[in-house]
Amino acid sequence: MIKIENLEKVYKTEEVETTALNGINLYVKEGEFVSIMGPSGCGKSTLLNVMGLLDKPESGSYKFIDTELLTLNDRERSNFRKRNMGFVFQNFNLIDELTVFENIELPLIYNKVPTGERKKLVNEIIERMNIVNRSGHFPQQLSGGQQQRVAVARALVTKPKLVLADEPTGNLDSSHGNEVMELLCELNETGTTIVMVTHSSHDASFSNRIINLKDGHVISEKINKSRNEELI
Amino acid sequence: MFKLNLKIALRNLWKNKTSSFINVIGLAIGLSACLMLLLYVSYEWNFDKQAKNWKNVYTAMTNVPGEGNKIAGTFNGTTTALGPLLKQNLPEVKYVARMDYGKKSLIANGQNSFKKDSKFAEPNILKMYDYEFISGDAKTALSNPLSVVLTESTAKTLFGTADVLNKSVRYQDKENLTITGVIKDLPENSSNRFDFLMPWSFYEILDPSVKDLNWNNYSFVTMVMLNPDANIDLVNRKVEALVKANTPQTPQSQPHFLYQASKLHLFGKFENGQPVGGNIEQIWLFMGLAFGILLIACINFMNMATAKSEKRAKEVGIKKTIGANRTSLIFQFLTESMVLTLVAVVLAIALLEICLPAFNGLLSINLGISYFNAASWIGILGIVVSTGLIAGSYPAFYLSSFNPIQTLKRKIKSRGILTVSLRQVLVIGQFCFAIILIISTLVIYRQIQYIKNKPVGFDVNTLVEIPQDGELKTKFELFKTEMLKSGAVASMYQSSVSLSHHGRNFMDMKWDGMTKPENTVMFNQVATSYDFIKTNGIKLLQGRDFSKTFASDTSAVMVSASAVKVFGYKNPIGKKVTIFGDNAYIIGVFDDYVWDSPYKSNNPQVVFLNQKQTGTITMRLNNSNNLQSNIETITRITKAFNPAYPTEITFINSLYQEKYKSEKTLGILSNLFGGLAIFVSCLGLFGLVAYSAEQRTKEFGVRKVLGASVANLMQLLSFSFIKMIIIAIIIAVPISYFAMGKWLNNFEFHTEISWWIIPVAALGTLSMALITVSFQAYKTAKANPVDALKYE
Repeated sequence: MIKIENLEKVYKTEEVETTALNGINLYVKEGEFVSIMGPSGCGKSTLLNVMGLLDKPESGSYKFIDTELLTLNDRERSNFRKRNMGFVFQNFNLIDELTVFENIELPLIYNKVPTGERKKLVNEIIERMNIVNRSGHFPQQLSGGQQQRVAVARALVTKPKLVLADEPTGNLDSSHGNEVMELLCELNETGTTIVMVTHSSHDASFSNRIINLKDGHVISEKINKSRNEELI
Repeated sequence: MFKLNLKIALRNLWKNKTSSFINVIGLAIGLSACLMLLLYVSYEWNFDKQAKNWKNVYTAMTNVPGEGNKIAGTFNGTTTALGPLLKQNLPEVKYVARMDYGKKSLIANGQNSFKKDSKFAEPNILKMYDYEFISGDAKTALSNPLSVVLTESTAKTLFGTADVLNKSVRYQDKENLTITGVIKDLPENSSNRFDFLMPWSFYEILDPSVKDLNWNNYSFVTMVMLNPDANIDLVNRKVEALVKANTPQTPQSQPHFLYQASKLHLFGKFENGQPVGGNIEQIWLFMGLAFGILLIACINFMNMATAKSEKRAKEVGIKKTIGANRTSLIFQFLTESMVLTLVAVVLAIALLEICLPAFNGLLSINLGISYFNAASWIGILGIVVSTGLIAGSYPAFYLSSFNPIQTLKRKIKSRGILTVSLRQVLVIGQFCFAIILIISTLVIYRQIQYIKNKPVGFDVNTLVEIPQDGELKTKFELFKTEMLKSGAVASMYQSSVSLSHHGRNFMDMKWDGMTKPENTVMFNQVATSYDFIKTNGIKLLQGRDFSKTFASDTSAVMVSASAVKVFGYKNPIGKKVTIFGDNAYIIGVFDDYVWDSPYKSNNPQVVFLNQKQTGTITMRLNNSNNLQSNIETITRITKAFNPAYPTEITFINSLYQEKYKSEKTLGILSNLFGGLAIFVSCLGLFGLVAYSAEQRTKEFGVRKVLGASVANLMQLLSFSFIKMIIIAIIIAVPISYFAMGKWLNNFEFHTEISWWIIPVAALGTLSMALITVSFQAYKTAKANPVDALKYE
């Protein structure tokens, strides 16, 4: 589904030039759950941002089901993103002024989904995420785990083809972290492709494939046999 | 989407109570000041524009020739001959109506008598101004000489009802007039206002000179209505040629032109025969003040919104990530500023309703919002939308431009060079405006004081005047004897005009040794009786007052010091002057005194003895009695002579107070709006300091733990803000110095800008800002450092 070739990204300041991605090649199949790991500053978040069309690389190619995405303009990128991708962040990134329901509803509004259908979709996902009794609450009234559930719900409500998760358990204790990872697995089992950036090998063990980055290069790639066997 | 944006806007307003309060209060003050002044501006702008055909209604103007082929003055007085000449010869002229200037006259229904504003006019005036007739017929209302048209309120005052058609009223206790029409009261913003209107034909009966088509007496107004397609420049060229061809041409001949009647109110100032503005300048000033304050409030909003950008950046990032485009975000932020402006406008209307009575009192007008008029709401909506756009557009474009990755990683630097400098520029701009207003207020105040303290030229304190009506015209000598006998009055005289007002202007004057064939200096004439100088106490420089012991005083004149200067006489007493062809001899020279405008020197003046030209009786009260009993005695004696007339005693003192009124009003308004500008600016400053303090909580905590004192921290927080105020002072001082110097130069008699005004204004603003900043700085500096560090 995703085919990335020779991706290069350089950050320039007045004094220093840092190569964040240095000729990355990456393939992700539809329905795959891929983890990207590596030390701080290795370029994994940059890669995720490029995959999420939040950042532009200097060169390379990024094809998503045969569509070259790097040639799109800002408006096209924004449209492509809202139709095909969902995001889960380490710090949840919920809008404090909106309730749980409204936060989840927001991407549907941007996708111009009619009101009736919108309500139905939000209610379905709220039920699925087991946060029905929290739908009228504001983010600051929820625990971290609950907030991340809302964030996942928001990422899923548009039924995206690809979910990008940036350290989704980074701000959670282990029990809440496990909950979220199980949620992502369930999601993956229903066919959603997931690319996750993580520091934690425990979290990575939930995925099918683990890609290791260092200094902007892919240094290794490992198939997670246990998970694949589980699936078989 | 809109609903969601509205929800976010309202929740944000509620969450950030301090900044919402600052924004709402600031905008409400700005909006109410703006609405108030716009009401006033619309009132002034619509002066004389109520009639359907106002665009085609013109007033005939007269240029007064001066020295060196220049035009010394322009006024709207014309002779009786001009109107008929224009009507007969110009095809573009649809109607002509001659009028008098109007005066207060007695009108009575039996014993029920009042002095009301009266006017004489030719019937065509009713075709130019479509007065709304409650009863009667506009076509015939002024046909009969002994008829009168009353306004509704005059009818009600006299009869208690407006249903008075064909009833009779008595004019000046002399003639009975039949009421042929009752019209709705004229709008306050019309120049040709009256309480009752009488036919020109009646005027011709009362004063036969009116019937005479002459080119000498400029005491009449000629209104002209042109065809809609007439070209005014062409018409004016024709008017000039026509008058030239039909009048004997001398250097004193006064050319005429037509000027749109509705322009006279705001654009009534002429220089060398050309319009050069007038009251419109005050309107621009008020508009500037109104929008200035509103802009200050908008700047507060922009500053607070961009200062808080860090908080909003996350929201922008999330929304962009999940699919929002820039337009939808701009729309969201504009919704927020619109919501805020809407809340503010509700408050502003309430504020306006509270303040309007005082404002109306100050300007002696009657303004109000017409809530049932669609135009009012469209106007208010227009202001709300434009305010919302001005205040919201910069934050909207700024905030929506954030890059989602950086915002989500909290990398947004709210202290980018450009951001801060723009915010600083805005704060500096706000305070510049406020400082300019403070300096202006001080200069206006000084100018009023200067003029007030300038000697008038005589003791105004125990002088009173009454109009010379009815029997007081014919029995003045008897009246004088009675008054003096009563002991209430020490001395008195009659004159053609009030002491505080200008008399008739004229140029037909010759003197010995005159170098030019014709005089081109405008003189002012006052006709009086005996005891002129004795009563008013004007300083006599040479010679004597008129006296009964000299029978020859009937052909004598007293002249002002400035007149002697024009004549060039070294020893003026006994010298001859020729006025309107009659010889007169100078018996006295008096010092120039203040009449008409106290801000400029007046025309040279000639005073002569003529008891036939009645007008005003001036009396010096007897100091040895108390004021109350003096007034009672004057009232009693006047009433005995003139039972039909109300007694109107005016203190000359109050007439002079009136002369300072427009500058005093300007002073009060600039005081008020200056104060508001400072208040709203300080409100914004308070918000910025509060936010800056909040942002630097951790830094302050660390500094305090490391040993910084409260004073150190206060200094740290205050310095950057105080620096901006100092820059504002440096910019504002020369601007206001220049502008106020220019304003002062409008007055021939003016004060200088005192050196102390600038430090007072500068220190005043600085201390106000310092108090604002210190309050917040102290609060932050005193906070427990542990809390600050825990908070982070």
